[in-house]
Amino acid sequence: MSALHTISASPTSGLINSCLRLVCPGDGILFIQDGVYHCCPPDLLGDVSQDNALFALREDLLARGLLGKISERITPVGFGRFVELTVDYDKVISWS
Amino acid sequence: MQRKSLTFITRQAPYGSNKAKLVIDAALAAAVFEQQVNFLFMDDGVFQLVQNQNAESISSKTIGRVLETLELYGIEQALVDSVSLEERDLSAEDLAIPVKILNVEQVRQLAARSDVVINL
Repeated sequence: MSALHTISASPTSGLINSCLRLVCPGDGILFIQDGVYHCCPPDLLGDVSQDNALFALREDLLARGLLGKISERITPVGFGRFVELTVDYDKVISWS
Repeated sequence: MQRKSLTFITRQAPYGSNKAKLVIDAALAAAVFEQQVNFLFMDDGVFQLVQNQNAESISSKTIGRVLETLELYGIEQALVDSVSLEERDLSAEDLAIPVKILNVEQVRQLAARSDVVINL
């Protein structure tokens, strides 16, 4: 079963490392709230396999002035797509 | 009611917040409804398992007492992430209750095959 992992705290939390221990091929990762700070330099996502889609909530990027600074691997999504993603994957695992 | 497999991941140390207690309460509630419950200690959550705790000194309830109730509710096996133990220089002998230690692949598979993962 595939999972969408949501990460909602900044890189200082170390959440990405815990999350990656559970991530399987085909899972997706969505950055929300302060989690969107993972999306700009320095590159913190080098360990994430190309099998895993990466998303970030556009509203949270905009609010923090990060929309133009994010890595090309990351797809910004709005609230509507956020909801669709939670349905597209079999389950959601939230990291906060 | 369809039986689902639920995995509860407890990742916080025991007394700094109420999250550790919350995960236990949620898992016990699920067990009462006869769901298949897995209970996994990860990250700082493994500090909940350290022996010889006595939280009376900080006017709290010692978490070990609460953890002992897991078995009473039919959650027979407490699971622990091996990496989290190693990172904190802990081993099975340091722990207050019997646990099953899972390696990285086993933890990943546990989450993958669960219908629902509650992670606090």
